[in-house]
Amino acid sequence: MSELTHASAPRRFIGGQLLGSSQLVLGVILAVLCIAISIAAPQFYSEANIIAILRQCALVLIVASGMTMLIITAEVDLSVGASLAFVGCIGMAVLNSTHSLALGMLAALAFAGGVGLFNGLVVTRLRVNSLIATIGTMMMLQGGVYLFTREAVQNHNQLTSFTDLGAGYVGAVPVPVILAALIFTVAYVTLRFTTLGRYLYAVGANEKAVRLSGVRSERLKLFAFILTGLCVGVAGMILSSLMNAGQPTAGRGFELTVIAAVILGGTSLLGGRGSLFGTLLGVLVLKVIDNGIIILGWNQDLQMVVPGVVIILATYLDIIRNRANVR
Amino acid sequence: MSLASTASVKAPPSVLARLFARQELALIVCLILVIVFFSVTAENFFSVRNMTNVLGQASLALTAGIGCAIVFISGEVDISIGSLLATIALPLIIIMNDTNSLLLGVSGALLFGLIIGVVNGYLTAYAGINSLIVTLGTMFIMRGGVYLYTGQRAIPDDASLDSFIALSDGRLFNIIPYSAVIAIVLLLGFAYMMRHRPFGRQIYAVGGNPEVARLAGYDVRRVKFICFIISSLLATVAGIILAARVGSAQHTAGLNFEFQVVAATVLGGVSLAGGIGSLTGMALGVLILQFLSNGLRGLGLPTEWQLVITGMIIIAAVAFDEAKRRRAIGG
Repeated sequence: MSELTHASAPRRFIGGQLLGSSQLVLGVILAVLCIAISIAAPQFYSEANIIAILRQCALVLIVASGMTMLIITAEVDLSVGASLAFVGCIGMAVLNSTHSLALGMLAALAFAGGVGLFNGLVVTRLRVNSLIATIGTMMMLQGGVYLFTREAVQNHNQLTSFTDLGAGYVGAVPVPVILAALIFTVAYVTLRFTTLGRYLYAVGANEKAVRLSGVRSERLKLFAFILTGLCVGVAGMILSSLMNAGQPTAGRGFELTVIAAVILGGTSLLGGRGSLFGTLLGVLVLKVIDNGIIILGWNQDLQMVVPGVVIILATYLDIIRNRANVR
Repeated sequence: MSLASTASVKAPPSVLARLFARQELALIVCLILVIVFFSVTAENFFSVRNMTNVLGQASLALTAGIGCAIVFISGEVDISIGSLLATIALPLIIIMNDTNSLLLGVSGALLFGLIIGVVNGYLTAYAGINSLIVTLGTMFIMRGGVYLYTGQRAIPDDASLDSFIALSDGRLFNIIPYSAVIAIVLLLGFAYMMRHRPFGRQIYAVGGNPEVARLAGYDVRRVKFICFIISSLLATVAGIILAARVGSAQHTAGLNFEFQVVAATVLGGVSLAGGIGSLTGMALGVLILQFLSNGLRGLGLPTEWQLVITGMIIIAAVAFDEAKRRRAIGG
């Protein structure tokens, strides 16, 4: 039915006009959440807690920045969680053997970018549906990481620069937050103000039209896959720095959190529609909820239930508003 | 295969080419190749005992796969089935522990499954939310709900009813596991429905082209709604078999199960785009993957290799299928 709704509604109108109000709703939800939680638990607004929330947002936001671009081109990557764990292990192993943060980082980025490249080639050259292709990659990575190491790769040389990657501060701001802000800004500018960004939207909205107008749509999709991979590389290194080890079990369900944040931010799985600013709000809403559950002393298992409800509800609200606007 | 394809381009397709064009036959050949390969290489692979064991292990994915395939054919997806497996085990085990009645326990589980199917189906078909989002959401909600309720501990089956235990280790005529019998009966029933009943044809029509189906007078929303209910009920049956096998309600039951089922379904040639595929294909996909993982274990490879190889096979199979389809259109 969703296809019908979309087909019958004028698409360009929705794409242009409603994005703003979709984010407005999300902003209101975020504000209400913050106010409600801080009334119930005043320590919500303490500096330490805000920094904790931002730090938790950073990892998700880094990968979600790439994922937003990818979903805008109407593809999706389910392998990011498995890749996150593998990247952490490889980065840590290289770091241990070379004592160089630069080489460890390079190895992580090369591996994660390689995974993105592989996904992209399978989807664009072999024409495999991206949902299936990345489920396949996810399985290969989940199995592969255990063949690579059965236990956590411990941090042997304790480089300060590496520890700072996850736990360090510049002034009062944690390093992961700065990295996330950087990546987010670059992605935002690319998507919003460059021709490349406009093409990414165009590919998602109508790939055939883009191809007929002489743009290589496969290249654009491939680019989005590699970019998502590289984001996973950065996030994987930060995660292994935070845990002070490369954990093969890390990242279970991470892909779903990232995709949930992107969808919550109003990016359509059908492609061609969405924004990074929405994704930022989506990440914030999910992580504020997570944090609220902890500081209110509620059962932490609610951290799975509430996002589930929020994703469905937010998407439903979006649909209702679309219908009202069309009328 | 290339021989068959070139033949179909140049001359009227030969019998062989037409046979190979049928997805199911290619799958059967694959299945036979897998079985022959492991019969030669792995010890104790080719025995009645092992074959029926694999059938028993495949019964979970086979049962849930029917629902998965039907939802795919209707043009939607359902990735909540893994969490559903863990969820419905709760009413099943709790009611059985309280009442010592398998019938009541199963009824409770099916009722839960029905409710979940109604929720998934309503939100997708009538509220118009993308089914990937809906079932992603209910997947989170159910898994979290199970964690909340159980405090992340397993609830053991204290009633230990003979009829319930028979579901895991009982065998019909002492040969075929009961779980496999259930799966096969359900498979035959639903395969008949998909091929020969009007409702089955409606599902294909709705998945193939919802606009045309609507113009032909089919109630697209109702068809999709019912497909989700079928999927949840079949996953419930799989969940009951799983609970019998592990003898408890496990909060981690069915983790990643949805991905395995989706993989097998797609391997079986059921398209995510809707309207394409058959339950026979899905069943062959499940069997290929199950025999493969059993055979690899027989060769003494670590279980991780099974994941890696399964992943590669899925990508290769879909890529191959896609190439064949494009050549058919292009040629």
